[in-house]
Amino acid sequence: MTKKSKAAVPAASAGKKKKSSLNAEKRKKFLLKVWKQKTLLLMAFVPVMFVVVFNYIPMYGILIAFKDYKASKGVWGSDWLNPIWKNFEVFFKNVNSGRVIWNTFKLGILQVLFTFPAPIAFAILLNELKGNTYKRVVQTISYIPHFVSVVVICTLLNGFGSLNGLFNDVRDFLGMARVDMNNGATYFYPMYIGSAVWQTVGWGSIIYLSALSNVDTSLYDVANIDGANRWEKIKNIVFPTILPTTTILLIMNMGGILNTGFTKVLLMQNNTNRSALDTLGTFTYQKGIVEGRFAYSTAVGLFVAVVNFVMVYATNAITRKINSENSMW
Amino acid sequence: MAKNKKIKTDPKNHVYIGSKAFDVFLIIFMLFLSIIFLYPFLHVVAVSLSSNRMIVSGQVTFYPKELFLGGYQMLFKEEDILLGYWNTIVVAILSTAFTLVLNSLLAYVMMIPDFVFQKPISIFLMITMFFGGGTVPMYILIRNLGLYDTWWAVILPGAVSAYNVFVYRAYFKGISLEIREAARIDGAGEFSILTMIYAPLSKALYATFGLFSVVGVWNGYFDFMLYIHDPKKRTIQLVLREIASNTSDMADTQQMISSGLMNQLNVKYAGVIATIAPILLIYPFLQKYFGQGMQVGAVKG
Repeated sequence: MTKKSKAAVPAASAGKKKKSSLNAEKRKKFLLKVWKQKTLLLMAFVPVMFVVVFNYIPMYGILIAFKDYKASKGVWGSDWLNPIWKNFEVFFKNVNSGRVIWNTFKLGILQVLFTFPAPIAFAILLNELKGNTYKRVVQTISYIPHFVSVVVICTLLNGFGSLNGLFNDVRDFLGMARVDMNNGATYFYPMYIGSAVWQTVGWGSIIYLSALSNVDTSLYDVANIDGANRWEKIKNIVFPTILPTTTILLIMNMGGILNTGFTKVLLMQNNTNRSALDTLGTFTYQKGIVEGRFAYSTAVGLFVAVVNFVMVYATNAITRKINSENSMW
Repeated sequence: MAKNKKIKTDPKNHVYIGSKAFDVFLIIFMLFLSIIFLYPFLHVVAVSLSSNRMIVSGQVTFYPKELFLGGYQMLFKEEDILLGYWNTIVVAILSTAFTLVLNSLLAYVMMIPDFVFQKPISIFLMITMFFGGGTVPMYILIRNLGLYDTWWAVILPGAVSAYNVFVYRAYFKGISLEIREAARIDGAGEFSILTMIYAPLSKALYATFGLFSVVGVWNGYFDFMLYIHDPKKRTIQLVLREIASNTSDMADTQQMISSGLMNQLNVKYAGVIATIAPILLIYPFLQKYFGQGMQVGAVKG
C-alpha cells in the first residue's frame, strides 16, 4: 500500500510542482516586501501589542464565564463548569434578576426616549434662529453642560435635591412643600433623565447642525418661490437632510440601551434606594468587583453584550426594511 | 407666481406674520434655554459663597448672600485638592503623550497604500470596535499585569483605540503622498517622515485629540475608582467624590456644620467649583477643537 501511494505521488505532483514553485516565488516576493517594510512593521508593533493586550486578552478572558475560575489556575487552566452554562442558570433563577433586567431596560428606554429627540429638536430650532451672533452664543452656552463630569453631576443632583437645594427652592417658589429628593427612588428618574437631557441637548445637536450646514441653499430659494411656509420647508428640506444621521445614531443608541449611565446610577445610589435602582451594570460591579465573584459577573456581562448586539441588529434590520439606504449595513 | 411673490413682501399676509411671530418666539425660547444651561453654575457659585442662614432659608439665587468663604477655606485646608490637581495633571500629560504617539504610529503605517498588512490590521482593529471583554476580565488583566493601584492602570488600556487610529489615518490621508515620496527620495526614513513632516502638519488633529484626552482624564471616574485606592494617588474626581459622599472624614468641617457655622452645601459646592473651574478656563479651546473633532469623526470615521 505504501509503495502504491509512493508511486502515485510523483505522477500527481508533477502539475503541483509548477504551482508550488510559483507559490514559492510569490512567497519570496512577499517576504522581500515585508523585509523592505521592516521599519513600518517596527512602528506598528508597539500599538498593535497594546490592542492585543488590552482588547484581545480581555475578550479571551470572557471564557471564565463558563469556568470555575481560580486565579491561581488562570483562565485556561480553570475547570469548565458543569453544566457549562451554570452561571447563566444561577443568574436567571435569581429572584432579583427579573427586577434588575427590568430596571435596566426601563432606564435605558427612558433615556433614549428623552435624550435622543431633544438634540434634534434643538438643532432644528437653532437652524431656524435668525442672527448668526446670537445663534453662536446660544450654541456655545449649550455645550457647557457636556463638559461636566459624572461625579460633578451627581454631586449637584444630590445638593439640588436636598432640603435646602435648588430643586426645593423651585418647589417652594411654586408653593409646593420641600422634600428630600435623595431619599428613596421616587425622584430618581426625573433627576437622572432631566440631567441627561441637560447635558446632551446642546452637544448632541452639533452633528445635526453640521449636516444641516451642508444643505444646498438653492433648495430654500426654490421653496420660497413655490411659496412654502416655515413648516413646509422644515418638513421637506430639514427632515430629509438629517434623516440618515438620525437613523445611524438611533441604531447606535439602541445598542447601548443596557449600558446606560452605569457610573451615574452607581453614584446616585444610597442606602434608601439601592435595591430599587439596581441595574445590570451596578449588579455586575457589585457581584464581580465588590464580592469578587468574577466568573458569575462575567457571565452577566456577556449576557448584556449579547442583548446589546441583538438590539443593534434588530434596529438595523427594521431600518433596512423601512429604507435600506439609511441602515448601517 | 405673482401671488407667491406677494407672500414675501406683503406684511399683512398671515404666513409672513406667523413666521415673524415664530422668530420672536424662538429668540425668547433660546434665551430661556440658555438660562437653564447656565443657571445651575451661577447658583452653585452663589451658594458656595453664602452663609448658612441664607442657604437654609432658601434665599440664595444666583449671587452670594452674606458672603462666606469658609467652604473654600475648609476645602483647601482639610482635603487633598492640590494633590488631586497635581496627580490629575501628571496622569493627563502621560495619558495624552501615550495616546498621541501610539495612535500616530499605527495610523501612519496604516495610511501607506502598499503596506503589506493593511487589510489584516484593519480587520484586527475593527473587531475591537464591536466586541470587548467587559469590566471583570479587564479588572483581572490589570491585576495580573501588576498595574493595580498605579496610574498605568488608567493610562495604558485606552492608549490605542481603533476609532482614533481610523480618524488619524483619515487626517493623514489628507496630506499629499507626494511629500512623503519626495522626502524618501531625499533619503528620509519612515520614522523621520512621520515626526518631521506629518506630525507638524497635523497640529489641529493633535490639539483636538490632546484636549479629548486631557478632559477624559480630568473628568474620568470609573476606571480611577476601580483601580486606584491609594489616597496619595487620587485624581480630582476621586477627591470630589470623597468630599461629596463622606464629609465626616473632615473633622473640623463636620464640627462647623453641626454647630451651624457652615452648611454642607458650602463645602460640596466649593468642591464642585474647584473641579470644574479649570475645565471652564480652557472652555474656549474645548469648544473650538471639540466641535471640529466631532465633525471629523462624523464625516470620516
